[in-house]
Amino acid sequence: MKLDPAIRDQVLATVPSLRAFAISLCGNIDHADDLVQETLLRALAHIDSFQPGTNMPAWLFTILRNLFRSEYRKRRREVEDADGRYAETLKSHPEQTGHVEFSEFRVALAKLPSDQREALILVGASGFSYEDAAAICGCAVGTIKSRVNRARTRLADLLAITSVDDFGPDRATRAVLAGGGRN
Amino acid sequence: MKTTKTVTLQPPPAREDGAEEPDAMGRPATQRKSEVRLGREVQARIGQQLRAMYDEFVNEGVPQHIADLVRRIGDQDDEVA
Repeated sequence: MKLDPAIRDQVLATVPSLRAFAISLCGNIDHADDLVQETLLRALAHIDSFQPGTNMPAWLFTILRNLFRSEYRKRRREVEDADGRYAETLKSHPEQTGHVEFSEFRVALAKLPSDQREALILVGASGFSYEDAAAICGCAVGTIKSRVNRARTRLADLLAITSVDDFGPDRATRAVLAGGGRN
Repeated sequence: MKTTKTVTLQPPPAREDGAEEPDAMGRPATQRKSEVRLGREVQARIGQQLRAMYDEFVNEGVPQHIADLVRRIGDQDDEVA
């Protein structure tokens, strides 16, 4: 059966954000592209289970998130470990991630437990409501809120953002103040 | 490892409808000066960095091999199903 062009366009329209989610989750562009590809293969193979008119992004994000989690259970050490080895890899080789500019933030993001990281990204960057994020992660809305809050608190700690003085309008000032957090 | 300060966190005002713009987190306009102990400025800063990073990736669009994949599958006939 041919894919309805309207559905196909919805899928394609979701890909940039889906891919940004994947990169933010796993910290590696090649791995993220593999995840996106696998997600799309599965989604298109089961396109009949998508209800037209419902939330295509939420549907695709759910598939990708579940793929990532099942991989993550198998390869926990590679994705995250208690010593932050994965974060160290990011720090040592920011060029591998392609975006040196954000490496400090990404190192901090990678140090979060993955359940907090995914909640923060879904709500804070992907733009999902708490309800949609809860559906994507298969948990309660309150759990998502709690994870997002813990993620923010931990990031603030890791990035040494502690008060309004730390991030005034002057980027250079912030860099100096945050300098203790580097290396 | 030092522990995070134990502050009581209340969730920020939730966006109850999913229809709002995708970048509501941390925006001063949607954050009341409230019981959020982390501080709305801190949250805003984190939100900005997160979105800046994320949007950078979003702006890369659809990689060609993925666009090709979707179109190829979309054009296939019944044998794939």
